[in-house]
Amino acid sequence: MTELKNQNSPFIHFHQKISFKFDGIKYYGYKGDTIASALFRNGIKLIGRSFKYHRPRGIYTCGIEEPNALVQIISEYSEPNVRATVKKIYEGMEVESQNRWPSLDFDIGSINNVFSPLFSAGFYYKTFMGPHKSFWKKIYEPVIRKAAGLGKPPKEFKAISSHLHHNVDIVIVGGGLNGLLAAVSLINTNYDVLLIESDNQLGGILNNSSKINEINGKRSQEWIKETIENIENSKNIKILKNTLVTTYNYINHLIAVEDKYVGAKPAEDKVNSTLHKIRTEHVILSNGHIERFLSFQNNDLPGIMLGASFEKYVCRYGVIPSKEPVIFSNNSNSNSLIQTLLELNIKPKAYIDSRSGEQIEGQLFDLIRKNDIPLYTNAQVKAAYGNKKLEKIIVEDSSGGTSEIATDFLCVSGGINPDVHLFTQSKGLLDWDEKDLTYKPSTPFQNTITLGSASGQFNLEEVENEINKKLKIFSPNKIKIKIKPSTANEYQIQKLWEVAAHKSSMWSKSFIDLQNDVTTKDIRQAISEGFDRIEHLKRFTTNSMGTDQGKISSINALGIVSDLLDKKVNEVGTTIYRPPYAPLSFAAIAGRNSYEFYDPERKSPIHQWHIKNGAVFEDVGQWKRPWYFPNSKSESMHDAVQRESKNVRENAGVLDGSTLGKIEIKGKDALNFMNLIYTNSFTKMKPGSARYALMLGEDGMVKDDGIICKISDEHFIATTTTGGAANVLACMEEYAQTEWPNLKVYMNSITEQFATFNISGPKTREIMSKVFSEIDFSNEAFPFMTFQFHEFEKTQIRIMRASFTGEMGYEIYVPASSALKIWERIHEYGKEFGLIPYGTETMHLLRAEKGYIIVGQDTDGSITPIDLGLNWMIGKNKTDFLGKRSLTRSDTVRSDRKQLVGIMPTNKEDQIQEGQHILLQETIETPVPMLGHITSSYHSPTMGHTFGLAVIKDGHSLIGTKAFASTSDQKTIPIDIVKPIFYDEKNERLVS
Amino acid sequence: MLVIDCPYCGPRDQSEFSNGGEAHVKRPDGSQDISDREWGEYVFIRSNPKGLFYERWVHSHGCRKWFNCVRDTSTDEILEIYKLDDPQPPLKKFENKIKTPSGEPDVGSGNFTVKK
Repeated sequence: MTELKNQNSPFIHFHQKISFKFDGIKYYGYKGDTIASALFRNGIKLIGRSFKYHRPRGIYTCGIEEPNALVQIISEYSEPNVRATVKKIYEGMEVESQNRWPSLDFDIGSINNVFSPLFSAGFYYKTFMGPHKSFWKKIYEPVIRKAAGLGKPPKEFKAISSHLHHNVDIVIVGGGLNGLLAAVSLINTNYDVLLIESDNQLGGILNNSSKINEINGKRSQEWIKETIENIENSKNIKILKNTLVTTYNYINHLIAVEDKYVGAKPAEDKVNSTLHKIRTEHVILSNGHIERFLSFQNNDLPGIMLGASFEKYVCRYGVIPSKEPVIFSNNSNSNSLIQTLLELNIKPKAYIDSRSGEQIEGQLFDLIRKNDIPLYTNAQVKAAYGNKKLEKIIVEDSSGGTSEIATDFLCVSGGINPDVHLFTQSKGLLDWDEKDLTYKPSTPFQNTITLGSASGQFNLEEVENEINKKLKIFSPNKIKIKIKPSTANEYQIQKLWEVAAHKSSMWSKSFIDLQNDVTTKDIRQAISEGFDRIEHLKRFTTNSMGTDQGKISSINALGIVSDLLDKKVNEVGTTIYRPPYAPLSFAAIAGRNSYEFYDPERKSPIHQWHIKNGAVFEDVGQWKRPWYFPNSKSESMHDAVQRESKNVRENAGVLDGSTLGKIEIKGKDALNFMNLIYTNSFTKMKPGSARYALMLGEDGMVKDDGIICKISDEHFIATTTTGGAANVLACMEEYAQTEWPNLKVYMNSITEQFATFNISGPKTREIMSKVFSEIDFSNEAFPFMTFQFHEFEKTQIRIMRASFTGEMGYEIYVPASSALKIWERIHEYGKEFGLIPYGTETMHLLRAEKGYIIVGQDTDGSITPIDLGLNWMIGKNKTDFLGKRSLTRSDTVRSDRKQLVGIMPTNKEDQIQEGQHILLQETIETPVPMLGHITSSYHSPTMGHTFGLAVIKDGHSLIGTKAFASTSDQKTIPIDIVKPIFYDEKNERLVS
Repeated sequence: MLVIDCPYCGPRDQSEFSNGGEAHVKRPDGSQDISDREWGEYVFIRSNPKGLFYERWVHSHGCRKWFNCVRDTSTDEILEIYKLDDPQPPLKKFENKIKTPSGEPDVGSGNFTVKK
């Protein structure tokens, strides 16, 4: 195959050959080529298989609007669904086609095309209903997922992106003719301007076609060069190339993605893409237009392409996909394509226009006659035929007669649409233009200005006027420009959406959405089934729901629907174009918030000690907490927890409780405030004492718990659960500011300033007396639920007599900087008494034996203090506290609420588990009444069997009765419902 | 994403703030003897208008101060921001500013062209 070059293209480096692989075969292209343009150089037209019917597909466009040519880039962590028409090649690039098996040329899935009459619109909803519900999940879905679709998701993910924020005055989207002129008009003004272009070349239509020969008496490329220089020399304008604006949000907030490696293999350790987050006062949309296609039978064959895209390949990429294409058009946009080809001595095989001879522009008519190009007027392409590539087309002329033209290439143009995606994302309104047959921007909703063809202004002679008029609000530099168009300037189009099929059958297909394999037949079927609202029709047929959002076809669908319903297109309406404009990778969105930065890890000040001592960690919120400390590699979690628990009950253990939330509350009205926040009353509490307290939501449900230390009426320290710390502080701040601003009270988090060590076990007092030898730990000097401040080696520490295990114990609060020193000292002195460190699992087990709840495990936001049997914690004489009134709501005083109870298996060898449901009868009969479930369950080394806590409907009155726990294999375990306390019911050990 | 003009810190990105729901909902004092229904209204019921909405925000990743705001929920336009102890601006102050993205009516939603 001899390669057809357009040596005049200034953007391709013809001296720089680049090799790349497509489906394992090596090909050559030039620096500057996209995958698509390089494949055309090598005569490759078949590039993929379609979504549903696995039909052979080629390259349909030359840009971001491409519906067909999606490929997988193997050399970049197997990046799927890359547009071959955008992605530039580099040395060693490996590309693969998608959705085919075993090969692109021979694809088993293409059998779908034979069965296609079965797969019409809505077939997913109708077909796979029986014989049983499980068939969808187990059989249909996996098979369909495998057969239908796009590329394969990569197994590995390594892309690196960064985010960049901009605050500017004006953003110009699109660096084509109008974008450049807008920038020129703002040179050296007082505005900060960002000019964003998705290509690596500025110039747009000037590069992509031969529509404009001269600007201000200069060749267009010369004018571009000069203009860019002027813009770059201006102090207030920044140009971003290779950057695609994907999103236009409220408040003129734009998102754009910049590809940092265009035409190069992305480095593995550098930022591959930048996500620009842009705040601006004004947006100028000069992002041009998109050509649309036409529907006729087999309009999807490889070898069929949009006319303007063909011209772009010739002008922008210097490759000529075919030397004798046939051109089929209904509008004047294709004029310049013929001109471009003739200038390169390429004679189109035929020109077919649906317009009459009189409607066709005189200049074009003369050109065609002069060059002796076969001309068909009032004519339409009825069908295209060929095996995996275009071989011939059938043309119907004005008389109704058909003729056959053998050709390998067909250029199609169905008219042009302003690229309104971003404008509609900004909530601007569109209006249908009956003359130009397209939706055009009408009323902007934000500070948005549209320019040039993006505004639906297709007349090049109007450019100067439009810019000077629309940008007037900026008092810009006045633009003086003389454009010399090469072809007729007036845009002309004749209505044509679809050509009736040449030979209509069950298998004939005229596509309306190439990416999702939607045919015009599907549209008809949807309407006949009642889906005549455009948004319904879109979802039923999946028309324009592909990743291209129907950029080249959605307007055609509206046209067809309006004809079928005999309504004006404006009445049919348009579906909404949603962000992003084109798919962007999750990697770009994630930015630096990935891998180890995805979520911050919080660590206790003695985290390193835990690592050194072999702790296994558990995630609690963002915290890493030691879960258990295995004494050897072979010790299982169960064994370690049993050993740790036993040791705490017999000797002593110490837990790193530093993650516990700590909040300091100060102020003249602190006492008053605390009485309002917590259920308990702190009024009669003596300074230096501590109290277990509950915090409710206004709905009366338990939200958090903790121990409150009263230093004075004006100074409290509250502890919270590890996960609830931030919420409790936020709640206190909210009420202090919004409901009780008259209270003089201030609060602050001191969680990270202090480490907390919970030491407990029968030998604790002996250990503490050794560690802090000057302190008297006797019950008289240091009673249960009191705290004392002490000076220890020049640091102030706070020791509290409290326990979460049921054994006598102390909590030691030390400044984080001295934490390790004191922690090690405790271990040093505790060794002889058998002190061990224990983790959260042992802590959970020991507290459950005592029936102490964990908020969030034994409660779930629907449990009141009364349900927990904690009535004693409610300050009866208080007039108000959070949620007080809710405790007497009709719902909270019901007797059949779920209430906390203890449970024990009747046969001690039975294992009960968390999450098991409670039944009152032995056999499981559906529907099973939802009585409640087991919230906590452990194996107790002290009792020698499993036990649990559960919330059961009317549980308090069921204590002493028998029930059953259902297992996951549909069996039941007999259980005894007991009081939720299993150890030291009289608290003798606790206060000993 | 919104830009919110914190009355204490100045304009900042929405990601620094948390929304606190409807503003000017007075918490009944606990000493009041009120019915289940009245209390239930306070705890569970909030208005959710399309259009002007008085709401609360807190600068949670900034000064942690609460303040009030008038926002048009159909356009997301913030019409006024005021401190907690400032008086509530009357609704009629904003009457002329109401506009919806698609010129739709104040109630309901959907595609305006289909509705016509």
